[in-house]
Amino acid sequence: MKGLAKGLTYTLKNMTREKATYHYPEEPLPLPDRFRGIQKFYPEKCIVCNQCVNICPTDCITLTGKKHPDPERKGRIIETYNINFEICILCDLCTEVCPTEAIVMTNNFELAEYSRDEFFKDLQWLDENDTNIRKEN
Amino acid sequence: MVRTEEMLLNVGPQHPSTHGVFRLVVKIDGEIIQEATPVIGYLHRGTEKLAEDLQYTQIIPYTDRMDYLSAMTNNYVICHAVETLMGLEVPEKAEYLRVMAMELGRIASHLVWFGTYLLDIGATSPFLFAFREREAIINLLNELSGARLTFNYMRVGGVKWDAPEGWIDKVREFIPYMRKELEGYHDLVTGNEIFLNRVKGVGTYTKEDALQYSLSGANLRCTGVNYDLRKEEPYSIYDRFDFDVPTEETGDAFARYQVRMAEMEESLKILEQAVEQFPEEGNILGKVPRVIRPPEGEVYVRIESPRGEIGCYIASDGQKEPYRLKFRRPSFYNLQILPKLLKGENMANLVVILGGIDIVLGEVDG
Amino acid sequence: MTTEENNKKPREEDAVDQKKRKSNESEKNEIGAQKEGAGDIKSDKRAKSKKERPNMQDKEGPMKQKRPGKKTDVEEHKEEESPSPKEPLLKKYVALIHEHLGENSLEDAYINRASKELPTLIVQPESYFSIARLLKTHQELQFNYLSELHGTDFKEYMEVYVHLYSFARKEHIALKVKLDREKPIIHSLVPLWEGANWPECEAYDLLGIEFKNHPDLKRIFLGEDWEGYPLRKDYEPYDVEV
Repeated sequence: MKGLAKGLTYTLKNMTREKATYHYPEEPLPLPDRFRGIQKFYPEKCIVCNQCVNICPTDCITLTGKKHPDPERKGRIIETYNINFEICILCDLCTEVCPTEAIVMTNNFELAEYSRDEFFKDLQWLDENDTNIRKEN
Repeated sequence: MVRTEEMLLNVGPQHPSTHGVFRLVVKIDGEIIQEATPVIGYLHRGTEKLAEDLQYTQIIPYTDRMDYLSAMTNNYVICHAVETLMGLEVPEKAEYLRVMAMELGRIASHLVWFGTYLLDIGATSPFLFAFREREAIINLLNELSGARLTFNYMRVGGVKWDAPEGWIDKVREFIPYMRKELEGYHDLVTGNEIFLNRVKGVGTYTKEDALQYSLSGANLRCTGVNYDLRKEEPYSIYDRFDFDVPTEETGDAFARYQVRMAEMEESLKILEQAVEQFPEEGNILGKVPRVIRPPEGEVYVRIESPRGEIGCYIASDGQKEPYRLKFRRPSFYNLQILPKLLKGENMANLVVILGGIDIVLGEVDG
Repeated sequence: MTTEENNKKPREEDAVDQKKRKSNESEKNEIGAQKEGAGDIKSDKRAKSKKERPNMQDKEGPMKQKRPGKKTDVEEHKEEESPSPKEPLLKKYVALIHEHLGENSLEDAYINRASKELPTLIVQPESYFSIARLLKTHQELQFNYLSELHGTDFKEYMEVYVHLYSFARKEHIALKVKLDREKPIIHSLVPLWEGANWPECEAYDLLGIEFKNHPDLKRIFLGEDWEGYPLRKDYEPYDVEV
């Protein structure tokens, strides 16, 4: 019986402690800056080097580039850029290899959609996803 | 006289106490288990096959998903294997960060085990307390790596991130807090008569059995074998820390409980020393070629994960991708002894024995 | 340029690079083999892995050189300089096996230096079980713990890799056996170590290696109706496009 009483004391003591739960949907979750959420893409920074496509472990990134419209300038610019969030595992490798930081992580993580098709995020969507951008990249 | 009849009972694949998708076909006669046949493979994703088409850096996120309760040790084992094969040196600071991350992960993993094990047995409140403390660790690791479970933190030759500002102090503050909570757990559970009656003398096996079945980790140490790879073959910088390897002699479910509880305290000891020795200056990534191409050859390394001995075998043909990658997954080996332990046991003891082994199905199925 | 072209380009370069490396290697190996000559213990495997490593070192600077002062000499020289600390042990194992099971039971024995100086035995399939038994039971060996067992498809042959540990002596050993790829059958180790049960099932499931005398050989992950063995190099996935 002694052990039981001891345990009960511990439980009772814990009743007065502050709550450990989050009020999540009502209040946003406190997330550290490094948190890996949905990517933000800067089309103007992209040099179409394809490194993110090559490093992606799940092959969820597809992109195409085109010649720079200004004939004076060399290099290529991005035409389409898609990430399939059905298979993206938010592993951070694409942002790690990007030489110009054209793709960065944000702290946004809410991805729920009504249809699977909506997980296919295109260049425009990724460009507009510009809140809570991660500072360190 | 009561007449009993043999019957087949499916435990799982969706049984809550299996903590995953694990099926156990049990033949019972009344309350007594005659035979138990584990059926696994529901979570087999073919990590090893996938890895044959992936570069070494790309494999690291996949290892997060094997033993998802202590992803840091999985990260480490693959990095360590590649580093050993290539003869790479890892900067000191990176090693400290790795050790701290791994030990925090070990505590978190044991906390999950502690909470869910007692939940399986029928005690609800320890689960809530354990998860409260685990949340603190998860938050620390989240700050460090940017994810709560699938860290993808380590890289071949180092780690991805340096410790953020104030992180070391937070770890320092966490140690006494966790010590106090552990004492509370002992008050709450260890002396509890109901708990003791449930676990003492249940699922007992001998040292010989444990060795015969290739058990490792707490499952081996509960039979009195003093074997911890952190001590036996110090990898990383574990030789710099002073800690004990807790062992018990009885080999029952209670011994396994005691070993794991004591291991958390030892991990705190390691953390305490690591925080003190942590070098503020230094690189976090060694001199690593841009494309990791280990030389031809094969390597097998083993480290101590919370569940036991996790090993990684790489056969390299000099390419960017491994020719063959194989993980020795401790849960897979540890689970083999289950049919033997269950035979002749009372049905009610099934969850006590299964929970005591501490398996993670992501790891069992690979 | 389209994405595909972009993707292809670096790979082609790699392939060329690869070829160059390969040819370099084979030249070096030939030289190495001539110099080393016939020894009690063959070390061509070791030479191979050793030879590659300095290549890496050239690029990355000194990494794990034990004696930086004597770096100037050729690679072969260095190898002679520091024989593996496990060499005497390996000799002892080989002698014991030869004594008990005859000269022909071993195919090769070398120290895998890349894998933390691991003594490695390549055994003949016929004597695989008896060598394992000797390793487990002999008083001077006592490898009583099976740490790992798995198979690999090396295209020309199948290999079973067994990693043993001795608690009494705190030593490791790797046991390898090469099997005919078309008909990979080998004696099971379950009579010696119960812990080999599931790993052998795994090797059977994923590679199609059959283990004789196994108490319950089954396709442990994929189920009995699965076609083909996924970890074989010529495996064609059923659903390529998914």
